[in-house]
Amino acid sequence: MSDFQELIKSFSNIREYVRDFFVYGFKTRNDFKEKSPRTYDNQRRRLESWLGPYVRKDYVSGGFNLSLAIDSNLLDTNPLFQVWKTKSFTDNDIQLHFFILDFLQDGKARTAEEITDRLLSDYEVLFDIQAVRRKCNAYAKEGLLNKQKSGKTVVFSLDNTLMQWLKSNENINNALAFYQMAGNLGIIANELLEQLDVQNQIFRVKHSFFVHTLEDEILFALLDAMHRRAIVKLEIKSSKREMKNTVHCVPLQIFTSTRSGRRFLCAYLGSSRRFTCFRLDTVKKIFTLEEADDYEELFAKLERNRPHLWGVSFQSEERHHLERLTMTIWALEPTENYIVERLKREGRGGAVTRTARNTYQYETEVFDCNEMLPWIRTFIGRILSLECTAKSVEQRFYKDLQAMYQMYGIKNPTDEQND
Amino acid sequence: MELFSEIYSCYYRVLRHLLSSQNPLTIKDIYNRICQEGFEESLLSIIPKLEDGTWNLFKKEGELYLSKLSPSFTTPLTDLEKSYLKALLSDPRMGLFLEPAQAEALNHMLVHVPPLWQQEQFCYYDRFADSDPYEDETYRHNFRLLLDAQKNRQYADIDYNSPKGNRVHHYYVPIRLEYSVKNDKFRLLALEHHSHKRQKPEILNIDRIASVRLTDKTLSPSVDINAIIQNSYYKEPLKLRIANKRNALERAMLHFANYEKNTVKIDENTYECLIYYNQNMETELLIEVLSFGPMLTVIGNEKFLDSLKRRLEKQRELSG
Repeated sequence: MSDFQELIKSFSNIREYVRDFFVYGFKTRNDFKEKSPRTYDNQRRRLESWLGPYVRKDYVSGGFNLSLAIDSNLLDTNPLFQVWKTKSFTDNDIQLHFFILDFLQDGKARTAEEITDRLLSDYEVLFDIQAVRRKCNAYAKEGLLNKQKSGKTVVFSLDNTLMQWLKSNENINNALAFYQMAGNLGIIANELLEQLDVQNQIFRVKHSFFVHTLEDEILFALLDAMHRRAIVKLEIKSSKREMKNTVHCVPLQIFTSTRSGRRFLCAYLGSSRRFTCFRLDTVKKIFTLEEADDYEELFAKLERNRPHLWGVSFQSEERHHLERLTMTIWALEPTENYIVERLKREGRGGAVTRTARNTYQYETEVFDCNEMLPWIRTFIGRILSLECTAKSVEQRFYKDLQAMYQMYGIKNPTDEQND
Repeated sequence: MELFSEIYSCYYRVLRHLLSSQNPLTIKDIYNRICQEGFEESLLSIIPKLEDGTWNLFKKEGELYLSKLSPSFTTPLTDLEKSYLKALLSDPRMGLFLEPAQAEALNHMLVHVPPLWQQEQFCYYDRFADSDPYEDETYRHNFRLLLDAQKNRQYADIDYNSPKGNRVHHYYVPIRLEYSVKNDKFRLLALEHHSHKRQKPEILNIDRIASVRLTDKTLSPSVDINAIIQNSYYKEPLKLRIANKRNALERAMLHFANYEKNTVKIDENTYECLIYYNQNMETELLIEVLSFGPMLTVIGNEKFLDSLKRRLEKQRELSG
């Protein structure tokens, strides 16, 4: 392993490893069949180096499990942000970064020639003018430097006004401390906090899925495509079947579940003329294509569909347009009124009606009632009846219930009386 | 704009700190800084580059390293960072932090910057409907006072509307503000003023707080919040058996990814998972487990198993 490098060139290569270690945490070397053992060893060593304090090794037959012990109740930041800070660079990159930015701190505009000369005279480092110009242009593209043309002369300058404002403003530091864990693309807030040398010691965040940060590069590209109202080509790798395919679609919105930890792209498929959702963790690459002529129209159509969308499915197994689900529950008044509140708060627009003392009916019409089952099951212990126009949903609910009674040895009260 | 860029790398950060030092550094100082802020193997890459001058960022005087940069060295923001800040300005929670004049000043500095996203590009489809009232002035006022109290470890007099409808008075020192993405609500984790008692964090919903008054009293010894939370965990974790049908394994692993957990493979299709939790998390964890139906089997601890069975017994009584 003499050629081992701690830093990496591409994020996408490491993304799946981190996800497997973080999400599963029971895979041994033999479970990573797609990669060579050497690649596995290098990636494992990198993860141990980057995420040392969170790495747990459990010895099992056939090797050891490497997992990440991450309890969000105990953390002031997302440990997986470390993975974003591992990009490799050249010796010239790091030197030019510090020297050019340092030299331009006074805010004055200079040509690449002047900068090259002054790096030699002030910092005693000799660089090729082309290398300096390339770096200045790259930094102008990233927004670190301003680039202006006056006649044939191109000059570069630096503006620290915004950074100075951030440094002097405690409130924005508090906001960044919060958003790094609670908001979209929190990695950027985290990087800003590092530049400001501020650490979060105020906030904790529940129901934030740290693993989402691994999809941020994909999310970033999708937001850019949405901003351009563009069609995209997605390379997708199905998590279940390990199959790869490509899809052309119009990206419209990011759907996030705060419960299951999944994020989806909701897009319009021109070929089948319907909306569909793709899990972000299955999207491997994005190619932005031409602008979609009917973008606004499609977005408006999605908005019209939204009231009947329970989760991410636009069609049920039974292929009816809409399914109706009615659940009647028992909640003792007034001490269990919080259950009724739950129906209203979590029922996504479904109607809640008091039908008798201690009895409430919840009713809704959605595209796919099958998606509702996990939520319905959270009311187990109170469900007087469940009816659905999709009979398979009803059947699945009661069949699962019977399976649970059997698993936990729950006897039928009437049988007990007969005994 | 690049999200994965060396500009944000750990090595650049460590070097920035080393180069900002006004004092000459020994190689031991440099070692220590890298050990504190770098990755576990960063020493092996950084030290040789500095020692042999490949990274000619320091002037060497004997055994000492002097930064070639000015002490006021500051890295400006990238377009990505500016665009991110611009997007935050449209977030309803931003008003909890920035005064209107500050938001206006920031907006002015970012006037030509497009936001990285628009609010309508995201949909949290299973978020609860009763979010905290972020626009409400009393809520904002209380939030800011609690933020100050937390930072200064100041005790606060808090008038609280309990869920049962009573007005309760508390005397607490805020230790953390906790945000729930699912509930879109802030809660206050606080400690009571009873040093002789075993400390456990009290939890208050911020939108139920009627008023806050800061006192002069501060909490003198520092508090290890994580030790307090960990002490509150049950000794016996929840023990689940997962049958890998209907993609249950992957769903469960992701669903419970926020908890401290440990998973072991029992055989080709069966996995066992330990989840650590405390009394405050118990009901939520129970309904999360129920939501998986027969795909998860609770095999311990006894208390959790009893609660689950009670719900199933009640259900069997209701529906036969």
